[in-house]
Amino acid sequence: MSQATNNTSIIGARLLDLTAIPDTSTDVHIVDGVICDKPATDSQIIDATGMVLSPGFVDLYARLREPGLTRKGTLASECHAALAAGFTTLLCSPDTHPVIDSTATVELIRQRAQQAGGARVIPLAALTANLEGQRLSEIATLRDAGCVGASQADQPIADTSVLLSAMEYAATFDIPLLLTARDPQIGGAGCAHAGAVATRLGLPGIPAATETIGLARLIELCRDTACRLHISRISTARGVEQIHAAKQAGLSITADVGIHHLFFTEKHINGFDVNFHSSVPFRSEQDRDALRAGVANGTIDAICSDHAPHDTDAKLAPFPSSAAGLSAFDVFLPLLMQLPALLDVPLSKILSAVTTMPANILATETVESTLAAGKSANLVLFDPAAPAQCTSANFLSQGRNTPFLDCDDANIHLESGLPFTGKVHTVWLRGVPTTFIQ
Amino acid sequence: MKQNDPQFNRFGNLHHFLTLDGLNKQTLTGILDAAENFTSINDKSIKNAPLLRGKTVANLFFENSTRTRTAFELAAKRLSADILNIDLISSSTKKGESLLDTLRVLESLQCDMFIVRHSDSGAAHFIAEHVAPTINVVNGGDGQHSHPTQGMLDMFTIRRHKGSFENLRVVIIGDIKHSRVARSGISALRTLGAAEIRVVAPNTLIPEYVEALGVKVYSKLEVALKDADVIMGLRLQNERMNSATVPSMGEFFRTYGLTEDRLKLAKPDAIVMHPGPTNRGVEIAANVADGKQAVILEQVNYGIAVRMAVLSITMGHGEAVREAQMAGAS
Repeated sequence: MSQATNNTSIIGARLLDLTAIPDTSTDVHIVDGVICDKPATDSQIIDATGMVLSPGFVDLYARLREPGLTRKGTLASECHAALAAGFTTLLCSPDTHPVIDSTATVELIRQRAQQAGGARVIPLAALTANLEGQRLSEIATLRDAGCVGASQADQPIADTSVLLSAMEYAATFDIPLLLTARDPQIGGAGCAHAGAVATRLGLPGIPAATETIGLARLIELCRDTACRLHISRISTARGVEQIHAAKQAGLSITADVGIHHLFFTEKHINGFDVNFHSSVPFRSEQDRDALRAGVANGTIDAICSDHAPHDTDAKLAPFPSSAAGLSAFDVFLPLLMQLPALLDVPLSKILSAVTTMPANILATETVESTLAAGKSANLVLFDPAAPAQCTSANFLSQGRNTPFLDCDDANIHLESGLPFTGKVHTVWLRGVPTTFIQ
Repeated sequence: MKQNDPQFNRFGNLHHFLTLDGLNKQTLTGILDAAENFTSINDKSIKNAPLLRGKTVANLFFENSTRTRTAFELAAKRLSADILNIDLISSSTKKGESLLDTLRVLESLQCDMFIVRHSDSGAAHFIAEHVAPTINVVNGGDGQHSHPTQGMLDMFTIRRHKGSFENLRVVIIGDIKHSRVARSGISALRTLGAAEIRVVAPNTLIPEYVEALGVKVYSKLEVALKDADVIMGLRLQNERMNSATVPSMGEFFRTYGLTEDRLKLAKPDAIVMHPGPTNRGVEIAANVADGKQAVILEQVNYGIAVRMAVLSITMGHGEAVREAQMAGAS
């Protein structure tokens, strides 16, 4: 007796994976969980005309909040929200409670995530014990336990000699470091970009110099240690220039930007809107435009979600005391769909920034992002033109902290004049489909 | 991005008083005119007006203050309101109760108005956004953002002495960066049409892009004071000395202290203002603070009338104030 299989043929979609297949419509078959040239005899057929088939998205930075912060989000809630947004792999930031600096925590996260279903979770190791920036954590052991890289989350290492040592040690084991460029002191008490808006609102500022000085420190140490350095969540025009120069100089440096930073600027915090309080602040229009140009010309390799779900109470406070960060998964795809027009680049370029590029940055067999035949089927099929719904009724992340929630017109915040569209049809995780719209 | 000005209700009336930023000239002048009327009440032997009889006003001060709180208290009492002083610095918020929980408790005491002082910029906006719609919120100072009643009493003092704002050259000296008084003053002066606003301080006390507020930045006090009509000092907090912003009180006074000699560079009829409490020998020389050009104590006195105006207008008595004004004139 034959059992029902998940064998599927996806017919007529636009296939987007620049590395494997040219950007033209063709068919893809999934047989026994693997991408194949030919269909199986029992393949179900999905008519995907008008839709896009892409490798599943890979997120280089998301906060999943479990263990310890489950009032903000759980692995179950966030992994399902991520899957519905097209992500098949999430790098979970280490700032959980306890932080990810022991194999026990890695194990716990992996097990909980597996039980939950949803997108696959790969923890990022805390580079220093308890993220305190003093002692190194056991990153080689943590790598063996399943971490693909190490990070300091939002807490820069204050002592430069510790940072140097950490980078030397990571280079020994070829462990990529995903670090945010931030001077440990400048802007430490700030809550908004140090610009005209913060000055008018009397908000303590975070100067652009905190990023440029932080970057200079990281770049110089990268030069000396030859470690694999990925700059997480860049925010300034000058920072983009520094990364460009470092790449020109032949350093092994890559960078990403949080998706919201490609849209929002300091002016969005007008009226003390806590929805726009972000740990890496939204900066000037000129900075935002430089980030867009950086993605378009490849200086910025990847786009991450910088997902930061919060409980309602965390945002119910005056701006400086409100928790920083935006819930990103539920709006990720519609935001992404705005970028080809805004950056004047093909959709394939934008998709590579959330698929092949992040996979290449990690350069590990654990994370693959491809439509190539013979590879495990981690795919997303989506309709780029279907109107996005971001209502309380269908919101999936536990963190409701986004300005787009129940917002009648997304253009109030985006000012792009473009439709807010993009809906995931089906995501395949190792060949197993989850369908979101019929 | 917030779309609407939360200070106005749906009928376009001033319902909260949170910031001077965004209030037009007519609104500001209306407050000054109303305050003018209340000063005449304050000069009488019986100083009460019954405008807010039966209303309860709560002073919610999450930050230390004696002067501002007393001025609000007196203003509310002279309008015949019941006033509730709640010391929040040592109570609930220290116990980990959230700001919103504290508000809910106070709401249930059936207060009609909250006067709020808080160390977070935007705290008054936050409270206005979350209180019951029947409650009016008046900002008594939020972080480094705004101190609108201080701003208005400063404008009142200037108008009393100078008649109008159009041709005035105003100099603000000192800690602009951390000062909500400076921000409110600058905003009101711009709206009321002051000819020129100068700020002068070491760069450590000047915030980024301050020019966008419509001011000219000076480093040298002697240059900034030239031909000034109004000179406003600001209090320099002691903590600035410990944070590498200013090396010492002595050096600050030597470079930015308002002395008799420097005052001579301004117009002979220039007035000297300060929100208090003054640091004599730091921002201002004692003989200038006590000198004939100083109007610092007048500011304190006018503060009551201005706050009476603000309280009555936000509580929907703008009309009554105007009538009282007519009666007073006849």
